[in-house]
Amino acid sequence: MKHDTSSSVSMLSQARRALLPWVTLIVKRRQQFMLGALLIWLTLAAGLALLGLSGWFITACALTGIAFLLGMPARLDVYVPGGGIRFFALLRTVARYVERLYNHNTVLRLLADLRYRVFGQLMQLDEAALRRQRVSDWLGRLTADIDALDNLYLRLLMPPLVSLLIIVGVSLFMAIWLPGVALWVGGVLLLLWLGLTYGMARLSFAHSHRQVADQEGLRRLVVDQLQASAELIAYRTAAWHRNQVEAHEDAALDNQRRLGRSVAVGNSIIGVITGLLLLGMVWVGGMMVASDVIAGPILVMLLLVLLGINEVFVPLPGAFARLGGSVAAAERLNALGPDRVLNKDQSLPAHGLGLTLDHVTYRYSASVEPALDSVSFKLAAGEQALITGRSGAGKSTLAALLTGRLAPFSGDVRVGGCLPVRVPECQRSQRIALLTQQVDLFDASLEDNLRLGNPDASDDALWDVLESMALDEWVKSLPRQLQTPVGERGQQLSGGQARRVALARLLLMNPSVVILDEPFAAIDYDTAEKVANALAKWLAGRTVIFFAHHGFIGGLTQQIKHHWHLSAGELSQRK
Amino acid sequence: MIEQSLTARSWLKTLATLERRRLHLAAFLGVLAGVQTVIIVVGLAWLVEQLTVHQQSPSQLVGVLVLLALCVLGRGICQWAQETISLEASLCIRQHARRQMLDKYWSLGPVWLAYQQSGALATQAVENIEALDGFFARFYTQLRIVAMLPLLILLVVVKLDYLVAVFLLLSAPIIPLFMALVGMGAERINRDQFAAVARLSAHFLDRVRGMSTLQLFGRTASAHKDVWWATDDYRRLSMRTLRLAFLSSAVLEFFASVAIAVVAMYVGFGLLGYIEYGPAPSLTLFSGLAVLLLAPEFFQPLRTLSQHYHDRATALGAAESLVTVLNESSIQRSLLNEPDAADDIAVLKNVSVEYASRGRVLGPIDLTVKKGSVIAISGPSGSGKSTLLALLAGFLTPSQGSLQLAQPRYAWLDQQPSLLHGSLADNLRLANPDADRSAMLVALRQAGLKALLDKLPHGLDTLIGERGIGLSGGQAQRLALARIYLSDASLILLDEPTASLDTETEEVVIQALLVWAAQGRTMVMATHHPAAIKAAQRHLEMRNGHLEEMSYET
Repeated sequence: MKHDTSSSVSMLSQARRALLPWVTLIVKRRQQFMLGALLIWLTLAAGLALLGLSGWFITACALTGIAFLLGMPARLDVYVPGGGIRFFALLRTVARYVERLYNHNTVLRLLADLRYRVFGQLMQLDEAALRRQRVSDWLGRLTADIDALDNLYLRLLMPPLVSLLIIVGVSLFMAIWLPGVALWVGGVLLLLWLGLTYGMARLSFAHSHRQVADQEGLRRLVVDQLQASAELIAYRTAAWHRNQVEAHEDAALDNQRRLGRSVAVGNSIIGVITGLLLLGMVWVGGMMVASDVIAGPILVMLLLVLLGINEVFVPLPGAFARLGGSVAAAERLNALGPDRVLNKDQSLPAHGLGLTLDHVTYRYSASVEPALDSVSFKLAAGEQALITGRSGAGKSTLAALLTGRLAPFSGDVRVGGCLPVRVPECQRSQRIALLTQQVDLFDASLEDNLRLGNPDASDDALWDVLESMALDEWVKSLPRQLQTPVGERGQQLSGGQARRVALARLLLMNPSVVILDEPFAAIDYDTAEKVANALAKWLAGRTVIFFAHHGFIGGLTQQIKHHWHLSAGELSQRK
Repeated sequence: MIEQSLTARSWLKTLATLERRRLHLAAFLGVLAGVQTVIIVVGLAWLVEQLTVHQQSPSQLVGVLVLLALCVLGRGICQWAQETISLEASLCIRQHARRQMLDKYWSLGPVWLAYQQSGALATQAVENIEALDGFFARFYTQLRIVAMLPLLILLVVVKLDYLVAVFLLLSAPIIPLFMALVGMGAERINRDQFAAVARLSAHFLDRVRGMSTLQLFGRTASAHKDVWWATDDYRRLSMRTLRLAFLSSAVLEFFASVAIAVVAMYVGFGLLGYIEYGPAPSLTLFSGLAVLLLAPEFFQPLRTLSQHYHDRATALGAAESLVTVLNESSIQRSLLNEPDAADDIAVLKNVSVEYASRGRVLGPIDLTVKKGSVIAISGPSGSGKSTLLALLAGFLTPSQGSLQLAQPRYAWLDQQPSLLHGSLADNLRLANPDADRSAMLVALRQAGLKALLDKLPHGLDTLIGERGIGLSGGQAQRLALARIYLSDASLILLDEPTASLDTETEEVVIQALLVWAAQGRTMVMATHHPAAIKAAQRHLEMRNGHLEEMSYET
């Protein structure tokens, strides 16, 4: 708390900057938001009215009863307040139920909006950014972060608004009888509201902002302990590493302790302030009754409304103490977007496409050595080339450059005379096809995975390509045939089957350029021979690059015109 | 099995016992805060009667007002203390539980860990332990408060008006009954809901993970729409089930509201003199108002408990998966003895290793490793070489036979040296935490990493690995070599250290290791490298779990 004013300004601007895009999303559902808030307000107001009216009723009855006993003339209509009490009791129950249903529905709609938006950002990332995200275990955080923003609605936006409306409503109601007192009560409650929202956020912002980062740090240390357990045992350094884990854990728990204590202070302050306010009201109200400014039953009604008002504030401290956490989640999601978006204004020529690389260099931001170092080659339309090299030599970088999912650091990549990064995705994907080394199948049916290659393909076409890849008999033997689910990441399939499904998917397309990274990896020799023929037929006339570790690409070597070798990012001629 | 098998419930119970004092103190404070609330509302009722019926002026009531103000402050302090103390209990319990998990991983050993996903295990030790928080910080205490406080309130109400007390007593058991009825359905729905959410998240992550493929096939736009529709479909489905699930909270709300309404009507009519049976004729404004205000307080602890009910479900779910790990059987390191002869490093007699799932993977074998010897073990993959090395390293205990190990500090190197999330220096400290920077630089130079070091932006303090500079396989293996140099271990165990390297680096690493071993160190390596086999004094061939002596120089 050294730089008091600057830190509060920066907290607000940091929160605004991080949350603005997401709040905008919520504002789009303004009507649902208002109606949801109104329903919560109605629930709380009905509760207060129930208590207040009951107090009024009992006091009025007591005074009338005493008057009866004294033989004084007295009349009390018991039916209207009795009906009112029953009405508010029912209203509170029904409003609570409807409110929960309605707001839950809105939150789920919002979740769809949020995921849509995040996906939209991820869509525009290039291969380098996607690869970075694949290695980090951040992907697991993604849904938790989106849920944190989903909570924004029910925890950070709705309760302060509703409690403010209740404060205003209660003050106005009091002002009917005691305008001066109402002003004071409203003022105190407003200050409490401010303290529980802004004050709470201020007090705990840094702590809750850190919380997830703390957890991630701890997680990384635990992963280290697990992965390096052999070395840690061997070198007798387990205790050394364990000390690091425990020191980190201590710091993380200490942070949680501070956060929890702030929330506890906030929670108990509600009771203290509203309690003292109530007693103050007893004092002032007592004076007013003594001097006949207001009637006894009215005072009791106002007292009971004040007694019940603490319920309105209960959700605030916990929610606002965790503002920092929501801001941190928003910041992580905001950081996802692409650094820059290139204009997609080039169009590939209709005829066959040749490839030209001119002194192309690419360096990933996290490495010392370039992945590709001044690579140049020319491949005319319809020619085939083989590029060998071990893993890590730069093959997948080269493939990403040719398919326009990476922009070169320096040098020039051209496909059919165009820069592939500037060609719109729909056109690029139809003309330039890539079989990646790692097969990506989606958790859907076999059919859906095949149709990724061509959504309009007929069932016959699907069976044709399955036959070419020697998969037809296997698929026919499955109880659900084309509808068979492949499981998450294709786990239900063997490596060789998944590879052939990926090849079949490719065969449904009609691209001008084809890049095959280890086409027969994980496929046994006999099967490779079988499917090579069909593949060769399909490849004829297209511009083709084969990538292979040791140069094994089955029976596909006849048409190869060039053989290059990639080693540590440098390309050289072979043969 | 030596350890007693745990269940989620019994484990949570044991953990709670650790912090019994704090948890009970917190519950006591919660009850104390409740008692003060009772005093406040009863006092309020009394004040109201004095002001309105007896026409006292507030200045005559200062004493009671001050008493109530003290109660308000006291209640605030009790609430704060309750929350703080149960938070402390939860923090201590989680710390203890996490240590227990980490110790368990430790005692399961590297061989068991190799078959697990370390990310998933880390989730167990981090997120799943955190998920226990609500149970100990809130639910556990509240459960004890619920057992005490309503009873106390009931006693006060009996004193004021026994008919209201009877009404509350009758409605109290109805609530859990209703909640159980609704809850039983709701719990199943909750589970389904949970599964649906998990499926939906998996769908989303599946699409994100396959983003490159979607881009390659030009299908990002349609997947984008898919994401929205999948979530929206889920919304429509779940709204149908939630209509029932939300009934349980509505039931509580209904009873709390109805209690106020019924008590208000009863008291009102009683005060008017319309009710002539039971205690009604003796009702006063004080007793009437007091029971009215106590009625919602009677239900409040139960309402709070129902809000924390999901904490229990969350903790049970997390504990369930944690105890499955805790119930795995550990390596029994206590069974390892020192060899009888001083110059023996390891003595294996009739040793075999069996797994329940895979049967016998090694043995029976006999082997003595003498101090200063260099042994090469070759053999096809899966023949048991790694198992033998794991035995020598103490990562496994034999299923049969006797294993004697002198366990000096030793160096371990396999195909994939582990990189810590940290700086280059941190990664070297793994082998020797006390090493100074100049020793690190010497070791790096010796391992042929001088060129890399010169290129790193912050030298030894450069972050490497996932969050920093990526290292190639060769560079990582050289780093492991530098660790060996830095540790100065006298025994070196190598499990195919060069299998993933290119020929050039492989040659350098093997030669460096042989030179290092030749300076009087003991080395056992599983390898196919001809130079290494040639340089070794002993060459053993492993076939189907049995050793064959190929050559032995003395």
